[in-house]
Amino acid sequence: MNEHANIILRTDSLCKYYGAGDNLVKAVDCINLEIKQGEFVSIVGKSGSGKSTLLHMLGALDNPTSGSVWLDGENISSFKENRLSQIRRRKIGFIFQSYNLIPSLNVWENIVLPLGLDDQDVDETFIQDIIRTLGLDNKRKNLPNTLSGGQQQRCAIARAIAAKPSIILADEPTGNLDTKTGDEVMALLKSSAKKYGQTLVVITHNEEIAQMADRTIMIADGKVVG
Amino acid sequence: MKKTIFGLAFSKLRYHKSRTLLTGIAIMLTTMLLMAIGTCGIAMLDMNRQLALSQSNYHASFRLTQPQQLSILTKHINVESLDTIETFAQIVNGKMNGSLNFYKTIKDGIYFSNLELTEGHFPEKEDEICSAPAFFERVGANPVVGGKVTLSFRVNGKGDIQTKEFTISGLLAVREVSAEISDSRIAWGAYISDALRTQYEEAGLYAASPAAYIRFYGEDELSYDEMKSKINSTASDIGLDEEHTSINNPYLATMTDPGTETMLIVAAISLIVILFSTLVIYSIYYVGVITDIQEIGKLKALGASRRQIARLFFCQGGIVCAFAIPLGLLIGYFLPYFLFPIVIQAINRTALDPSFLAFLKTASHQLHMFSLPFLLLVVIAVLFTVWVSLLKPIRMAKKVSPVEAIRYQENSVNHKNRRGHLAVKVSTLTWANLSRNKRRTVVTILTMGLSCVLFICVSAVLSSTSTEDIARRSIEKGDFRISLDYSRHDTEYPENNLDQLVQKNYFSETFLQQLSSIEGVASIERDRGNILSSTDIPSAVYEDYDNRITLSYFTREDVPQLSAHLKAGTIDYDRMTAGNEILCTHIYSFDIYGLALGDVLPLTLYDGDREVPLTVTLTALTQPEDSYSYPLFIMTEDTWNSLGLTFDPTTDIFLHVKEAQYDSVKKALQDIVAENEHFRLYSLDEEMLIGRSSVSIVKYPIYLLLLLIAVIGFMNLINTMITSIITRKKELGILQALGLSNRQLVRMLAGEGIVFTFGTLLISLTLGNLLGYLLYLYAKEVHFMSLSRYHYPLWETIGLTLVLLAGQAAITLFISKKVEKESLIERIRSQE
Repeated sequence: MNEHANIILRTDSLCKYYGAGDNLVKAVDCINLEIKQGEFVSIVGKSGSGKSTLLHMLGALDNPTSGSVWLDGENISSFKENRLSQIRRRKIGFIFQSYNLIPSLNVWENIVLPLGLDDQDVDETFIQDIIRTLGLDNKRKNLPNTLSGGQQQRCAIARAIAAKPSIILADEPTGNLDTKTGDEVMALLKSSAKKYGQTLVVITHNEEIAQMADRTIMIADGKVVG
Repeated sequence: MKKTIFGLAFSKLRYHKSRTLLTGIAIMLTTMLLMAIGTCGIAMLDMNRQLALSQSNYHASFRLTQPQQLSILTKHINVESLDTIETFAQIVNGKMNGSLNFYKTIKDGIYFSNLELTEGHFPEKEDEICSAPAFFERVGANPVVGGKVTLSFRVNGKGDIQTKEFTISGLLAVREVSAEISDSRIAWGAYISDALRTQYEEAGLYAASPAAYIRFYGEDELSYDEMKSKINSTASDIGLDEEHTSINNPYLATMTDPGTETMLIVAAISLIVILFSTLVIYSIYYVGVITDIQEIGKLKALGASRRQIARLFFCQGGIVCAFAIPLGLLIGYFLPYFLFPIVIQAINRTALDPSFLAFLKTASHQLHMFSLPFLLLVVIAVLFTVWVSLLKPIRMAKKVSPVEAIRYQENSVNHKNRRGHLAVKVSTLTWANLSRNKRRTVVTILTMGLSCVLFICVSAVLSSTSTEDIARRSIEKGDFRISLDYSRHDTEYPENNLDQLVQKNYFSETFLQQLSSIEGVASIERDRGNILSSTDIPSAVYEDYDNRITLSYFTREDVPQLSAHLKAGTIDYDRMTAGNEILCTHIYSFDIYGLALGDVLPLTLYDGDREVPLTVTLTALTQPEDSYSYPLFIMTEDTWNSLGLTFDPTTDIFLHVKEAQYDSVKKALQDIVAENEHFRLYSLDEEMLIGRSSVSIVKYPIYLLLLLIAVIGFMNLINTMITSIITRKKELGILQALGLSNRQLVRMLAGEGIVFTFGTLLISLTLGNLLGYLLYLYAKEVHFMSLSRYHYPLWETIGLTLVLLAGQAAITLFISKKVEKESLIERIRSQE
């Protein structure tokens, strides 16, 4: 098989600059990377190294200053906002450090939200399966603020998987959790991604998590250093 | 320490820019409205004063009965100034309602606007005359000083008709008269010289009965009642009873009134404004505290006392007030300063009272509108409003415990669970958000709803003061009414009395056929007839009308309508026929004349030259909506028919005409009516014009007020929607990160707005219509604008609905455009 055929996400001289002149900050400076289908990639780097900015551009949340992002063979950096929101709900699942559940919706509703936004029917068996896998079975009707941090993050993982996206982007998913819960959540994330055949890109500070990945990308000062 | 709090308050205000701006706008609007309403009140008072002054400044007029009364009056201690006007003669000129008068100043100081000379002088020689140019034009003379005019008149309104040529000695201030008002409805007056009147007096042909126009001392110090008793005691000093005195109420009431009524209205409206504003400002601070709870907790963790937290909030309120109040005061003063004359102009266009018109043209720009005490009062009222709005949020903030606050999330409501839906749609999001903030949703709908209820309420009354209803008082049916202009008991000219006129059979079939033959006349209807009656026993009713009043009848079909408004007694058609019973149709007159049910009146009815005796018993009192179309007493149709009238009792006919030929029919009718001095023509267009003028005087200022109040209600919707979005900025960002498209975002926000709109409409259409009807009933009870029929404010309701929908859509669009401007990342990260 052609190696290119397996590549789901690719960046081409991706740059994101803020400010100008003396104040110019190169958050992401000419990054070229390729991520294969089904791969688990961790991105590591110090605070302010540019890893979150990179992740945001990979997930069509932010526009690059120059360069391009190719998702499933399409250059998404040239897409208009409407098309981008479609990409976000169909092809990308997001997991944030602070869970970012919608406080007015219960666990089930939070999970099926991306489907609803895309006018898709809810595949109940599939969602039930995810909920069971993530151990949220008896929390379906709970509002997010009644859940513990670990439970909230598991709910966020379920939400990311629900629409069967090709790629899951996680920004420090265990950052707000204690080590034990963090490990549990990470294990669940990894196994779920594997189970549903999804590509997983995780930003982390955590050495252990980085080592769980198939591949680790090191970022420093906006550049890939290893 | 105080400096720290102040600095913190200031930086918080700068940090929450949009919230600060909203609070500022709300406070500014409140100040502006209070200031504007008060300024209008002050202007209104001043206009009334100027208006009262613009016509004449006399306090009372006495109709003198004996010559020596004048000399006593001249020397009387109470009398400040004194003028006399005598009606010398009635002008005989077709249907012109005119008189020749003699005017004399005895003690200087009285001013009449219509006696200001623009040219020439008051008549001195026996053949001199002066009046307004319009008068001379009306009698066919050239209105120039030195010009000649020949007039026919009857001295003292009786005796032979005299004809005399006069020389115009002067022209009085122009009296503008709308060309569209029928001539017979204007009273014309011209002034003659002392020489002429003395000549007739000496010849024994003229007996003067002068009216004295008097100013009394004490206008500035005494109250209305004190002035009135002074006037009455002066009258009794010269042997005049109250019947011969007439108080110049418009002037005296205005001059002695400190404006209590106007100020009460201003206070009532201001209270409503303050209520709304408190709700608006409170809800902004309430949301502010909720979103700031973590920050407040941090301050407490750092050692801020409850008092310092309270001071922090008051400080923020104070700083915003310092900017918003002066701005509000400025706009609130200058808005009415420029708008008031415009509203006055709008009235101007339809106002028909010539002196009012003349006044408005000169004075509307020089109204006194400023009052420093009032300005200070507004400042205090606004500060109070802000203080009250802050109380509850501050109490909440004081209670925040540091630990709780840091853990706090906005939605830690009491619910643990939510039943939820299987699938999530945009509408699910809308509902979830509204129900999460139930209290805010309800407060928003209530404030919006209340201001709309107010609007619907007032427009129910305003739409019931329809021009057509007022016009219909003169023309109950059709487009024209030809009315017999009759007297009841003119002993001098008995040929003008109804009993004589019916013998002429003016409304004969031949005449009606002549009218039918006019092209465009669709149909002609006779009104129910009237018959003159008198009574042998003393009765206040008959004394007041010079011993004769008219009677008419009602049919069996009229009974339900008459019964619906029954105030006393019962209406049973057959019983009433059998017992010759009558009913009274005017509550006011019933009270005034001291009538009682069971009163028995032996009547004499005048059927032409035949006298029909009839004894009637008064058994019911009612006031139907169209009571103005009935005389005071009505009997049953059967009783009426049993009278066996030999003459046609018709006094009015109604003509229905085809719209296209209205003008030509009017012209033809005018010509026909001109041939008979006893006919009077009422046309719908003229009556509508009169109606419009009386409605618009009330309507325009009230609509302006409603507009201002609507602004506050709308402010609240804007505030709620903006705060609801600002506080959810992050959440909206997440939703977009999850794939919510811009269109879906707009749909979600619009959904929320539509719930507000429909909630508001629901309240205003239920509560508003109910209260509106009650207000209408009340207004009718107190005879406001002489309302008679309830009109559903359909157009106002449709207008309100459209404005709400459009306004809400505009806000949604504006806000979502604003949200889109900020990048997704910024939104997701905000408040993290």
